[in-house]
Amino acid sequence: MSDTAVEASASGAADGAVDTAGTDERLTFRGPFQRLLTQPEIGALIGAIAIWGFFWAVTRPFGTAGGTANWLDVAATLGITAVVVAMLMIGGEFDLSAGAMTGATGIMLILLVKDIGELGGLGLNLFVAIPLSFIVALAIGWFNGTVVEKTSLPSFIVTLGTFFALKGVKLGFAKLLIDNIQVGRVDEGTGYEFWRRVFASTWARNDHQFEGRDVVYNQLLLLGVVLFVLAFFDMAFVHRRRSDTRWLPVVFGGAALAVAGYVLLHVRNGGDMFFGVLVGAGVIVAVGAWGKYRYEPRTSSDLIRPSVAIQTLIGGGVVSLVIAVITAIIFDAESSVSLREIIADDPLKAIYLTVLAAVAVALGALWASRSGHRTALVRTLSALAVIGVLIAILLLLSDETVREARIDFLTSLLLFTEQGIRAILFVGLVAIGLIAMAMGAVRAGATSIPVRSFVQSSIALAVVAIAFFVQNQSASRKFRAELFTVMLLLALVVFCWSIVSLLAAERSAPDAKADRIGRLTMTVGVVLIVLAVVVRLLFTTTAEIEDGVPPALFSVRIVWFIAVTAAAVWALARTKFGNWTFAVGGNKEAARQVGVPAARTKTQLFMVVSAGAWLVGMLLTFRLTTLQASTGDGNEFEYIIAAVVGGNLLTGGYGSALGAAIGALIMAMSGQGIPFAGWNSDWRFVFLGGILLLAVIANNFIRSRAEAVRK
Amino acid sequence: MSLLEVKNISKFYGNIIALKDITTSVEAGRVTCVLGDNGAGKSTFIKILSGVHQHDEGQFLVEGQPVRFTSPRDALDRGIATVYQDLAMVPLMSVWRNFWLGSEPTVGVWPFKVVDQTTAKGIAVDELGKMGIDIRDPDQPVGTLSGGERQSVAIARAAYFGAKVLILDEPTSALGVKQSGVVLRYIVEARRRGLGVIFITHNPNHAWPVGDRFMILNRGRSMGDFDKSELDLTELTRLMAGGAELAQLQDELAEAMESTD
Repeated sequence: MSDTAVEASASGAADGAVDTAGTDERLTFRGPFQRLLTQPEIGALIGAIAIWGFFWAVTRPFGTAGGTANWLDVAATLGITAVVVAMLMIGGEFDLSAGAMTGATGIMLILLVKDIGELGGLGLNLFVAIPLSFIVALAIGWFNGTVVEKTSLPSFIVTLGTFFALKGVKLGFAKLLIDNIQVGRVDEGTGYEFWRRVFASTWARNDHQFEGRDVVYNQLLLLGVVLFVLAFFDMAFVHRRRSDTRWLPVVFGGAALAVAGYVLLHVRNGGDMFFGVLVGAGVIVAVGAWGKYRYEPRTSSDLIRPSVAIQTLIGGGVVSLVIAVITAIIFDAESSVSLREIIADDPLKAIYLTVLAAVAVALGALWASRSGHRTALVRTLSALAVIGVLIAILLLLSDETVREARIDFLTSLLLFTEQGIRAILFVGLVAIGLIAMAMGAVRAGATSIPVRSFVQSSIALAVVAIAFFVQNQSASRKFRAELFTVMLLLALVVFCWSIVSLLAAERSAPDAKADRIGRLTMTVGVVLIVLAVVVRLLFTTTAEIEDGVPPALFSVRIVWFIAVTAAAVWALARTKFGNWTFAVGGNKEAARQVGVPAARTKTQLFMVVSAGAWLVGMLLTFRLTTLQASTGDGNEFEYIIAAVVGGNLLTGGYGSALGAAIGALIMAMSGQGIPFAGWNSDWRFVFLGGILLLAVIANNFIRSRAEAVRK
Repeated sequence: MSLLEVKNISKFYGNIIALKDITTSVEAGRVTCVLGDNGAGKSTFIKILSGVHQHDEGQFLVEGQPVRFTSPRDALDRGIATVYQDLAMVPLMSVWRNFWLGSEPTVGVWPFKVVDQTTAKGIAVDELGKMGIDIRDPDQPVGTLSGGERQSVAIARAAYFGAKVLILDEPTSALGVKQSGVVLRYIVEARRRGLGVIFITHNPNHAWPVGDRFMILNRGRSMGDFDKSELDLTELTRLMAGGAELAQLQDELAEAMESTD
């Protein structure tokens, strides 16, 4: 490091010391959560997790290794192009020829390789043909970029032209040279085996057994979660000047207790609940002591009674949870009796449902009147009347004679099974209850930390209770195996958080050192979690094989996808080129004025897109060996959608390559999840449209909320 | 020898004469003020000097050598940095990235060359500190800064990269009294350090205290290129407003005031 750098960092440290004394009132501190929310890809990430959870819950194969291999396969090719298109979009341009380009490069490769005599087909070696096709692809990108720059036309128009040209060229050459719109058999070329391994080799999961897999998975996952949570603490609480070492033995004691419980749980194969409690207690003790050891203690406990609004929220949350449990007890989990028959035959359940609907409407009316919406109140009351009438009709319909006259809408309503009603009501009520309590906790946090901690602990307890309740009630193996553990883990995290925030002072000023350590720890935690999942996806155990798990094939294209995403993220964040990309997209004239070669940067971005499309072309060609002339046409909008879903701004200058990759995952998951769920896959597009709108709205909302000054 | 000199420079946009026969120069440690009303051709003149546009006629000399810049990069490479009127900032990018944009310091070997963020942030914070603004978070987007702070970032950037000549295009036009003072003080400071400064403004009261040489533009033509000894503030103001026109305006205003009394 040069002298100037040392000087700079020294003076930076001095500045920091001054800053803590007199803070700039124009800068508000943003907590770790708020900082996380301002990331462009956060909306997509939350969406991806939600969609994964949804399909995991409703379909059997989605969460398995086979299902994952399936949707990752689709995501890979979509994602590679989405990432490069996102880079171009950040640079302020579009490329509509990217889709046609994927097919064009593949077809060109096959035509170069094929030996078909006089009319064409050069019969080239693949080692020559592949670099050649890459150069041609770059040339097309260069052409796009140069035309856009020289003519100053919108790239939309220029690349639309290239798209049509490519589409025509593909068809034209295919017909001219081989008189067929199916261009085929790249595997006849010399050097095919080598290149197949590069572009289309696969990892057969069932061939790779690893008995210790679950142990590795569990431990990496736990370690990752622990690091993640500690990093969050580090960014959220004030550090002690000097750590209070008296608490260290307690930390180690708690940790030892947790580890002992965990080991015993493993040895006993998870049978004994006692050891689970041991783990939980150990973790809570260790984390609490960690807070005392590392962070500044809270000075005043300012206990203020929570306001009526907060009390209502918390009380409402608890009531909602209780009603959820009552619902689950009243209705049978196995029964497929329809709503009509319940109403006809079981007065208790019918009355219960009516009361529930009435309470819901009454609460709606109460809310409407409180917030002063007179019209809303009227509307709610009339809704109440409508529901009453509806119930009367339903009761009437259940009468044998009236039942003959079928009314379609109502009958379909009546076909809800008891099982379905139970699931919907239970999940809905639990969600409402937890959300209400969480809102209460957040509001209480503004006035009284102890109250917030108390509510958070109650939430944790409620989650534990629900987890046990549902585990007892559910027939689903999936639930018992995974969701149960996850819920307990979540409850533990919430509980630890509430304890530490009760003990330690929360940060309200930036602390660069703590942030750096926190970020590092968080990264390591995430890497460990990802590693855990990868190990679980790639390896199988003898027990699983005996259980008859279907084979899963992971294609090498997933590796390409990850590599391209990583390279793009790195380039955008760390290199000059990435800096210039943001600059030419954000304000091209300004970038040029301060010496950024704007035209060259944009042309290079177009070439990056072409290179990405070429890579996808190769992946397709070596997977299918025979391509249709129309391959890839029309996919360009999917790339743009994936990029937008991932938080990239259509106008350029803002966005993330990682977001585009996550956007591609979302699209692939919905595309593959729908057929897994047994629905007509035509609905995919409705889903896609919905996701696009939702993602953009959510991104805007999250960003504006997170950027708003915190009071 | 002048650091930078233009002789009879002209610029045409089609049949519009934007600039005609402009002559002036700037020496090391001197401030040349370019004055003119709106539409006088000040911005065109700046864009030629900074390499955004090219001149059509005349001679442009840097340290005695005739030059013809094809891009702002060329000008920067010769040590000529400009603070543009629109500040040339990318609002969504962070302060330090804007500061270094186009000249990022790098470490490592190609293709693993990365922007040296620690150095870059440190220097950016330091240089801004010298301008009197205490940026606490160099990662904050420029769009969140106030107008004056943004101006200071632009000036600090130009001063850091403009090794020889610093061009300021209307740096005080959007500023309050206090911040204009900061900018003027900064011009004097740059002059003391031996830089040649070209200061474009339409406010003679800002130009007079700091300038050594004054060139007045009116409707694309030069109204003269004077040394400070050759004229005084009233004369400068009179020249700038087009002399007779201003006298007439004063009379009219005086009449109007009287009639309202």
